[in-house]
Amino acid sequence: MLRDIIKKEILDNITSPKFVFTFLLCTILILLSVYTGVTNYRAEKKEHTASLALNKKNMESQPNFSSLAGIGVKVSKPPQVLGTVVNGIEEAVGRVAPVNIVADPNLIDSKYSSNPVFAVFGPLDLMFIVKIVLSLFAILFTYDAIVGEKEKGTLKLALSNEVPRDRLILGKAIGGYISLLLPLLIPLVLSLIILLITPDISLGGEDWGRLLLIFLMFFLYLSVFFSLGLFVSARTSRSSTSFLVLLFIWVVFVMVIPKVAVITAGQIRPIPSVHEITAKKDAFLQQIQTESQKGYLDWVQKNRTDAQKDPKAFEEKFRQFLQNYQQEMTSKIDENNSAIERDYQQRKRAQQNLAINMSRISPASALTFGSMTLAKTGVNDFDRFLASVRAYKPIYTKWINSKLAQSINFQTGEQPKISLDDMPQHTIEPEWLSRSLVRTIPDFALLIVMIIIFFVGAYVSFLHYDVR
Amino acid sequence: MLEAINLTKRYEDGELALDGLTFKVEPGEIFCMFGANGAGKTTAINLFLNFIPATSGTALIEGIDVAKDPLKAKRHVSFVSENVMLYGNFTAVQNLDYFSRLAGKRTLKKKDYAEVLDRVGLQKEAFDRRVKNFSKGMRQKLGIAIALVKDAPNVLLDEPTSGLDPQSGREFLEILVQMRDKGKSVFMSTHDIFRAKLIADRIGFMRRGRLVMMKTAMELAHEDLTDLYIQYMEEQPAQPSAALSA
Repeated sequence: MLRDIIKKEILDNITSPKFVFTFLLCTILILLSVYTGVTNYRAEKKEHTASLALNKKNMESQPNFSSLAGIGVKVSKPPQVLGTVVNGIEEAVGRVAPVNIVADPNLIDSKYSSNPVFAVFGPLDLMFIVKIVLSLFAILFTYDAIVGEKEKGTLKLALSNEVPRDRLILGKAIGGYISLLLPLLIPLVLSLIILLITPDISLGGEDWGRLLLIFLMFFLYLSVFFSLGLFVSARTSRSSTSFLVLLFIWVVFVMVIPKVAVITAGQIRPIPSVHEITAKKDAFLQQIQTESQKGYLDWVQKNRTDAQKDPKAFEEKFRQFLQNYQQEMTSKIDENNSAIERDYQQRKRAQQNLAINMSRISPASALTFGSMTLAKTGVNDFDRFLASVRAYKPIYTKWINSKLAQSINFQTGEQPKISLDDMPQHTIEPEWLSRSLVRTIPDFALLIVMIIIFFVGAYVSFLHYDVR
Repeated sequence: MLEAINLTKRYEDGELALDGLTFKVEPGEIFCMFGANGAGKTTAINLFLNFIPATSGTALIEGIDVAKDPLKAKRHVSFVSENVMLYGNFTAVQNLDYFSRLAGKRTLKKKDYAEVLDRVGLQKEAFDRRVKNFSKGMRQKLGIAIALVKDAPNVLLDEPTSGLDPQSGREFLEILVQMRDKGKSVFMSTHDIFRAKLIADRIGFMRRGRLVMMKTAMELAHEDLTDLYIQYMEEQPAQPSAALSA
C-alpha cells in the first residue's frame, strides 16, 4: 500500500503543470549558475596568475631596495574552485593584501569595489538558487499536500478504506520528496558534468568530497522546507491559508532572521569602526616616525667624532645601527598594530559568532554558513588568509630591513640592483576537509533537527487531522 | 449490515450534531435519510467512517465497532461522497486504479476498470481523459465506480445525486438497486425525495441531530413524500419515540 501511495504521489506531481514549470526553471537556473560560476572562476584564475606575474615583474623592476620597501609586496589569494557553486564572500571581499613596512595588511580590490553594481544583486550561484528559488519550490510542492486533498475530497475517499493514517502521510512525504528531487537531479548531474569537462577546473579528491557534502546540505535544506510545508498543510483547513502561512515563514527564515541577527549582534556587542582602528594605527605610526627621526639625529650627533676619526668603521657602525633601529621601529609598529588588531579581531569574532549563532535559527543561515565553510569561500577562510598575511608581514619586514641597511653605499649613495631570490614567500596551510566538516557539524545538526521537528509535527498533526 | 446505537456527537463548541441516533440497515436494504442542512446526516456518515469520534453510542459495520477497530470496519464499507473532485491530473482509469489498490483490489486489469466505468455510464472516450476536464456528473459516476470496485457489503452515500442530470440520476438509481439485489446494505443521505421514493426500502427524517421519523416503503406507498418532507422539516418539538413506533 505504501508503494501505491508513493507511486500515486509521484505520478500526481509529475503530471502537474507545477512540475514542468519547476523542472524547466531548475534546469535553466542551475545550468546558468554553474556556467556563471565556471566563467567567473576561469576569469579570476587568469586574473590571479596575471596578478602574481605582474607583482613579481613590478618588484623586480624596482631600482633598489628602498623603492621596493616603498611599494611592498602584494599577496594574492587564489580563487577557490568550489566558488563555482558557492561563491560566498569571494566577490564582496578583495583577494589582494599589500604588505609593506608601515601599513597593516588588509584585503583590497574586491569585485564589488571595482564595480559596485555587482553588489546590488549579489552572485547568482547554486547556493543562492537553492536558498531562494528551490526552497520556494519545496513550499510549492507541499503547501496543499494534505489540505489540498481535503479540499478535493480525496482524503476522505482514501481514508474510507483500510488505510492507516501514518502510512498515508509517510507515502505522501516520500513520494512528494522524490517528486521534488527529480527536477533537481538532472540539472545537478549536468552541472557536475560541466565541472568535469571544463579544462581549467580540476577537482581533487577532497574537492569532490566537499562538493558532495555541499549537495547533501542543499538536500537537507530543501527537506526542511518540504517537511515544514507538510506540517503547515496538516495544520490548516484551506490551501490558501497554508500557502500564506508558509510564505510568511519563508520570508522570516530567509530574509528577516539573518539580517536581524546581524543587526542585533551589532547592538549587543558593538565594535569600533575600521576607520577608528586605522586612525589609531596611523597616530602610532606618526609617533614612531617622529621618534625615529629624532633617534637618527641623536645617534649621528653622538657618533659624529667617530666619523671623522675612522669613516669606514663609522660606516659599518651606522649600517648596523640603521638595520637594528629600523627593525626596532618596525617591530614597534607591528607590535602595536597587532595588539590593536588582536583586540579588534577578538571583538569582531565575538560579534560575528553571536550573529552567526543567532541567525542559525534560520535554515537559510545554516545553509549559507555551512556551504561556505565547505566551499572555503566563507568569512573564516578570508580571516585565515588575512591572518597568514599578517603573520608574514614581520618576516617580510625583517628581510627588507636587512636588505635596506646592507645596500646603502655611503660614499656614492648608489644602491645595488635588487634580487628577490632569498625573499621569504607567503604560505598558507590549507584547511583540510576534516576540519571544515567539524565546523559544519552545527549546521548539519540544525538542519536535521529542523527536519525531524517539522516532520514529527506533520505526522502527529495528520494523525489527528480533521478530514471532513 | 450497518447499525447505529444511540449515536451522539457533541462538538467542542457545545453544538449537539447527533443526539441518540439509532437505526439499522439490513443486508439487501436501501435506507434513505432526509434532513435539512446541518440536521446530522453527514455527521452520521463521518462517525461510521471514524473521521470523527462519537461522544457516546456505537457505530457498527458488519458488527464491528468502528471506534474500536476502524481499519477492520472500513474493509466492509464503500463510500461515495458529494462532489468529490478526485485527482485532476489522473485519468478516470488511473483514479480508479489508485483507489481500488487502497481498497485492497490489486489484481484488477484495465478491462475490469473499463467494465465498471461502462457500468456507471461513463462514455468510453472519457476513460483515458484527465479528470480535471470532467463535469460534475462524470466525476460523480467515477466516484460510484470507485465504490463499485471495492465491492464492500455496505455502502455509505453522502448526497450522491446532487448535480446529476436526469439521465445520470436514473442510471445511478439502477446501480443502487443492483447493489441492493446483491445483498448490500445501502445508507444514503439525500435531499432528493423523488429519486429516493423510487428505490428506498426505508426512509428516515432527521432534525437537529435526532431521527424524528422512520417509515418503510410500504407505509409510504399511499403518502405524499413531499408533504411528509415539509411536515417533518418544519420546526416542531421532536417526538422520535412516537414517530418511530408508527
